[in-house]
Amino acid sequence: MVQFLVDVLIRAVDLALIAIGLSSVYSLIRFPNVALVQYATTGALLALALQMAGLPLLAAGIVACLMVGALAVLLNLMVFERLLRAGSAIAMIGSLALSMVFSAIFLVTAGPRAQRFELDIAPPLRFLGARVTEHQLIAAAISAVAIAGFALILFRTDLGRCMRATATNSVLARATGIDTRKVTGTVVFLSGVMAALGGIGIAVKGEMSVHLGLDMLLPVFAAAILGGLGNALGAAVGALVIAMAETLVTNVNFGPIFGQSLLFIPAAYATAASFLLLVIVLLARPYGLFVSEVKRV
Amino acid sequence: MHKALLAAACLAVIAVPARAQDVVLGAVLPLSGASATLGDDQRRGIELAVEQINEGGGVLGGRKLRVIVEDSGGRAPSALDAAKKLVTVDKVPAVIGEYSSGITIPIGQYLVQEGKVHVNIGSSSGRIRALGDGAFSVIGLDNVSSGFAADDVIAQGWKTAAFIAPNNAYGQGVAEQFQKALKERGGEVVSTVLYTEGQTTYRRELQQLERGRPDVYVYSAYGKEAATINREAFELGLNSTPWYAIYLSMCTTDADPKFVQGQYGLDLNNIGPDGKSYEEAYRKKYGENFRTSFNGYGYDSVKLLAAAIDKAGSAEPAAITKALKEIGNGYQGATGDITFDADRQRSKQPYLRLKIEDGTKQR
Amino acid sequence: MSEFLIHVAIMACLYGLLSLSLNLQIGFAGLVNFGQVILFGCGTYGASIAFSHQLGPVAGILLGITFAILVALAFARLGRNLGADYWGIATLAMAEVLRIIVNNEDWLTGGAQGVGGIPLIFGDMPRPAGPLLTLALCLALLACAWWLCNRLTTSRYGLALKLMREEPQLAASLGYSLSALKSQTLMVAAVLAAAAGFVFAHYVTFVGPDQLVASETFLIWAMVVIGGTGNHLGAIVGAILMQFLFAYVPFVKDALGLPSEYVAAMRLMLVGGGLLAFLMWRTQGLIPERVGETRHV
Repeated sequence: MVQFLVDVLIRAVDLALIAIGLSSVYSLIRFPNVALVQYATTGALLALALQMAGLPLLAAGIVACLMVGALAVLLNLMVFERLLRAGSAIAMIGSLALSMVFSAIFLVTAGPRAQRFELDIAPPLRFLGARVTEHQLIAAAISAVAIAGFALILFRTDLGRCMRATATNSVLARATGIDTRKVTGTVVFLSGVMAALGGIGIAVKGEMSVHLGLDMLLPVFAAAILGGLGNALGAAVGALVIAMAETLVTNVNFGPIFGQSLLFIPAAYATAASFLLLVIVLLARPYGLFVSEVKRV
Repeated sequence: MHKALLAAACLAVIAVPARAQDVVLGAVLPLSGASATLGDDQRRGIELAVEQINEGGGVLGGRKLRVIVEDSGGRAPSALDAAKKLVTVDKVPAVIGEYSSGITIPIGQYLVQEGKVHVNIGSSSGRIRALGDGAFSVIGLDNVSSGFAADDVIAQGWKTAAFIAPNNAYGQGVAEQFQKALKERGGEVVSTVLYTEGQTTYRRELQQLERGRPDVYVYSAYGKEAATINREAFELGLNSTPWYAIYLSMCTTDADPKFVQGQYGLDLNNIGPDGKSYEEAYRKKYGENFRTSFNGYGYDSVKLLAAAIDKAGSAEPAAITKALKEIGNGYQGATGDITFDADRQRSKQPYLRLKIEDGTKQR
Repeated sequence: MSEFLIHVAIMACLYGLLSLSLNLQIGFAGLVNFGQVILFGCGTYGASIAFSHQLGPVAGILLGITFAILVALAFARLGRNLGADYWGIATLAMAEVLRIIVNNEDWLTGGAQGVGGIPLIFGDMPRPAGPLLTLALCLALLACAWWLCNRLTTSRYGLALKLMREEPQLAASLGYSLSALKSQTLMVAAVLAAAAGFVFAHYVTFVGPDQLVASETFLIWAMVVIGGTGNHLGAIVGAILMQFLFAYVPFVKDALGLPSEYVAAMRLMLVGGGLLAFLMWRTQGLIPERVGETRHV
């Protein structure tokens, strides 16, 4: 049971940061930015390159996150602001196109091979019968701190208030003297940082390749949509739900029911389970679990 | 608009320079997409063979050999585009490739229809057997390697096995064949997991396998997935049970040595007259050990084709097919003895029995 | 006409059909379908299931059309109360779920190893008559589809679609049933895509799940957007242009002496970069939509 919870948490942490980035940016500029998963890859690749250049991992990670944040702001100004004028669907397709361009750049610069950080290998720790490693604990802790910090910014600071005001009604927010452009810029920057941190977190625990981001696309979207796009902390809950669905499918033994010792749903259906969950939730609650607004298109 | 496009296309066809003196072969490999690591390694083998042949005076009495390598992108339409380009524009008599069975089969069928030679160097699906005259495999199909692995597992005294492989054409094929082979020899596969590639963790899949309490874990994986599985098996403490790798070097190349300590496995046997020197040439040129097990097939396919062209005294497809059938009987390649059966498939392969103990050792 | 050119032209026609089908959805009904490739897959698997179970090609096309209509109805059911971007992600997820099913249900679909040896359409004809006849068939199919789409969109029905795209509330208030319009459009589009899939299966002679990955959908998207959304000719021109560019990238590589991995990067850049450039600087595409084009008013 503890092992089950640990597995769910490990997977949820992988998804949560990127999903939060996706969701928070959606609250201000109303389109799901597909390129965000590529920001995660960029963050991991940059951190890797910086570490190889001699920086300690911590410094490499921080620099990479800041660089990706800046990149996110730059792309938002140069590409997405322009695309958004033509509508949110166009902006979404544009972000998809942008992530293909990212893929091409990764392919030429980093090559298709699997890579990993140079880290010491520690034997697994036993924790109430569950098996975890130091790297997994550290990655989980960093993610938890990042999520908590994000929540603090959102609910305890002036900036957070401005963000929420802009998200709820940007016209009114502007009328009350909030610099909505600056607020949007800050959120875009934070979303880039979160995504990069998520990417680095995945890479630190093991191996990464240039496909990291695109492989995460659907699970991350499923998590963000389940939580309700625009609801940043809902995305974290969404990630937990997705992780739990996948883990249940792979680890529940149906054997005893059918008089066999072992009978599992084929592991290949684990990913299908999370997508199906997404579809079912959307049928019942068209805007996710934690968003109450109802509009029909 | 259409006319302009067609005209532009025709121009592009004419503009390709043709060097009549060279003997040109073609290859379609996955240089991008999910199997890019493997495709790139296949290309290395081909490159090395071409270099060596040309250093040794080329083919047909001094003509240079050239292999045009095209990218399939891991998608059948692009692979077919590439194969058709090679056949109709570059006029090659033989095409080598691909890696995925799902792509090898359509291009193989096309080449056989065209009366050209097709050499499969990477796919092991049993369905390749039915491609028809002109299609050869220098790689043993699933039944060959699975039979060997099952023999080896039984010989070690293991009765029950848990099996894990990627959920693609390769993995499904090996899973089915291995299960069959082990059963025939009195053992049993207690659980099989075919994992979806591209996930960040395979812990859950591994724990599902663990429930079967097997005597041995049998696996075959490559690239990022293989490294992740090895690491997570170590982290979960599953390495206290023996692990057996089908193609050990491919499964462990990207993994940290600590994770794979003690693993058993089978691997290709580079013992032919070409074997050792090939291994050294590869290491010298690329500065690392074999990245996957697949480069040797690329190498052997070019060497075989060159030998067949020399024997036939011509680069005509029909003549090459005939010569290949004659040569492919005890030919000593870098991957060992190559003998084709009646369906032009490699019928046997001398695998190595290996174990990793502070480096890979023969058992 | 060289055989290679015939081949590229056949593929261009098939992509033209897919592009027309997607254009009908996004260009006219405003349906952001990211699961287009699965509608194509309905056709290929209709052909493959009929072949592997010895039912004959007529059963194949009927099966393909039935699958396509079922999937279209499922998509439409989902779309009834979802926003465009949510629906886009939902279709992407459904397509992936279907691909996973096809990949695993070996007994029905042939699994990941696929089904080979599907007979060529004019296989027993001497060459080059066979390929030429196939090309003629594909051209005829494309022309029929074009005529059908034109007929549909220049009628009152087409006006209703455009009205739904631009002003959904107004359309509803005028008595149009939006969900009926959506599902009808999807069904027509699905049948076109399935027809392309069926011919593709009998031309390539192999059907497998690798043909149904999401990147194929994005390629078709690029064709439509570059050609011009909301214009049938634009969709066809986009498809032909992209297919020819794709097929001739290797020649550029040969001429410039580039290593082969650049082909992959170049293709990605063509799709991603081309799509992005058109979205940013020429949203209307090569051949813009003609406004106010109707026969019956």
